[in-house]
Amino acid sequence: MSAETRPIQGSIIARAYDYRAPAGEPRLVSVTPLPEANWDGEMCSWAPDAASPSAYGFLPASFGAAPQSSSNDDGPRDIALDRPPTRVIKDPYPTFSAVAVDMKNNEIILQDENLFQIMSYDGDTNTPPTAALSEPKRVIGGHHTKIEFNCGLYVDPESGDIYSVNNDTIDTLVIFSREVRGDMPPTRELRTPHRTYGIDVNEATDELFMTIQDPPYIIFYDKQAKDNDQPKRIIRGNKTELADAHGLSLDSKNGWIFVANYGNAASYREQAASGRQASDGGGGSRIPGSGRFVPPSITIYPIDGEGDIAPLRKIEGPRTQFNWPAHIFVDEEHGDLYVANDGGDSILVFKVTDNGDVAPTRFIKGPRTQIKNPTGISVDTKNDEIVVANMGNHRATVFPRTANGDVPPKRVIRSAPADQPALQIGNPGAVAYDTKRDEILVPN
Amino acid sequence: MAHPQIAVFARLAKGGEGPRRLIFGQNTLLSRTMHDIRYNERRDEIYVANPFAQAILTFRGDAGRDSKPIRIIQGPKTRLIGGDTLEVDAVNDEIIVPLGREVLVFPLLGEGDVAPIRTLKGGDENGWRSGGGVGVDNVHEFIVTDATRTDDPRIQTRERGYARGRNSILVFNRLDDGDVFPLRIINGPRTGINAIRQMAVQPEGGWVVIAQISNGGIPEPEGTFVGVWSIYDDGDVPPRWRIEGKPGNILKKPRGVALNPNHKELLVSDMRLNAVLTFSFPEIF
Repeated sequence: MSAETRPIQGSIIARAYDYRAPAGEPRLVSVTPLPEANWDGEMCSWAPDAASPSAYGFLPASFGAAPQSSSNDDGPRDIALDRPPTRVIKDPYPTFSAVAVDMKNNEIILQDENLFQIMSYDGDTNTPPTAALSEPKRVIGGHHTKIEFNCGLYVDPESGDIYSVNNDTIDTLVIFSREVRGDMPPTRELRTPHRTYGIDVNEATDELFMTIQDPPYIIFYDKQAKDNDQPKRIIRGNKTELADAHGLSLDSKNGWIFVANYGNAASYREQAASGRQASDGGGGSRIPGSGRFVPPSITIYPIDGEGDIAPLRKIEGPRTQFNWPAHIFVDEEHGDLYVANDGGDSILVFKVTDNGDVAPTRFIKGPRTQIKNPTGISVDTKNDEIVVANMGNHRATVFPRTANGDVPPKRVIRSAPADQPALQIGNPGAVAYDTKRDEILVPN
Repeated sequence: MAHPQIAVFARLAKGGEGPRRLIFGQNTLLSRTMHDIRYNERRDEIYVANPFAQAILTFRGDAGRDSKPIRIIQGPKTRLIGGDTLEVDAVNDEIIVPLGREVLVFPLLGEGDVAPIRTLKGGDENGWRSGGGVGVDNVHEFIVTDATRTDDPRIQTRERGYARGRNSILVFNRLDDGDVFPLRIINGPRTGINAIRQMAVQPEGGWVVIAQISNGGIPEPEGTFVGVWSIYDDGDVPPRWRIEGKPGNILKKPRGVALNPNHKELLVSDMRLNAVLTFSFPEIF
């Protein structure tokens, strides 16, 4: 593959892929950060304003007592500041949160949760060390796509349709056909509960499965469900031992559902419900003060399970090495269960029949692997490879299916210069300032 | 959101500069939905909530990867049901947690299964329900929260999207306890408020700063801004200052606000940009 040098938009808020047509090959880029602005002498002037009448009609007038002080009464009012920020902390490059392999079309599909895009790469892409990054063949992203906090991914093995899980805010599963690219509306949409994460499809029965993180449950739809269609059934309740549910994968051969759990738990008054009742999320049914931390786990259920059912088995314990298990993938052909172990910077491999506190049969971990905060995992059984989406370093890493230990990847798809840190800011719901260290604290 | 973490950046970091450290991993007991975070210089501590495990977590100020919380408030006496926001009163050593129909106040050094020391009760009887934004003014002795009208029909129909409610700023006495009514209510069309998120208070000046997300269910909604009111404002009054979400201000979808009094700056986290913006804002310091 040839590498091409091309500058990108200099702005620190540049969305790297907004300004370039995808080429499907590596390119060299340069980034020039904006100089820090100087706002000396540029502040808006103060202007007094008359007091405005109270108009809070929803409470009795007696609710509002007279102000106890009027220290700010003569201050400014209604001043719209045209004031760009002096500094912006933003990762301008894609950050991969999930991955799926389109084996029919030899493509690797990656979720970019930083710039809210779906990126499709040629399956053989390998970013040379000298290249700044590799360009995807196709990008879907922008306001009209309704992609936001896109964390889960499924690709239809026949049609190539992409199912993209929006974890937050939009609360909609968006489906795109292979023809869609750029800022186009989804081909199909399905309104979903809040906090969906994992996704898989039983192609034999045309059933679509998703996890909801909290309140934790598994929800089942017809694969062709759309708009406000209701789920067919759910697995939910205190017996399920679901605890901040994340990745989901099916073993249709043995009839099992696997779910990864972070371990943040509470008890619920409302037990299993089905259909319409499930779609409200049920957050109000938590029992106050019942919260607890339990070990991270993978729980296994019958594929046709419904209601408040106990897991068939549970993989859990210190030997598992679980540390925020994120997406998981069942390789039915070889009977293996792959775990993207976000907090452990590792990929763990178990047998689908494992139970209890068991060590993984294989794991990929170490500095040579280039695995960092892996949240996505997929197995390409056609090419006998596994593909890892690493949130921590702008990379998707491809390994032989049976890789074990601290081994280098066969190929790397890199979406940023090699030395560019991945900030992993995602849905920054708040911010704080450490006045002692002069540091900014940003939670996801 | 695929990866919970607290990223710690140098104040002058910009562009794609990496964080100094990241707080993440199983031992941290963090979850997603950290919709608030506070730092207390007096004790050099960081505070966040874990709503899924109904817990309030306290970390050392220098916490990093896989750091364990140094204190956890969690258990039946807490009455925590899933609060994702909090405020810390570093002067009076209290943690304030809004939970819809009530606002709970815990001792800052509380650990384990501790009961709240005060409760501001709202609900249908008292006509308000906190949406989650919260701040404390320990100079003028007020607690502020954002509010949802409990008679708002959109609540009853569970209309989708974040725009439902959270359209008011309520001001209470800091030591209020039991069934309480707000001292003052900032609400109405002139305020421009329809969806408050994180709140910050600059107590010396008596300023209340809010992030207005407008509608989180739309990728790039209109009407977003960061607004500043006086703690003594009342009724349908526009903010004293506002930074609107528009290209000239870079801002798109503000979710979090914090103040840096050392350098007279306003920090804003933007959920559409996945970014933190620092604005010079000497007017309120």
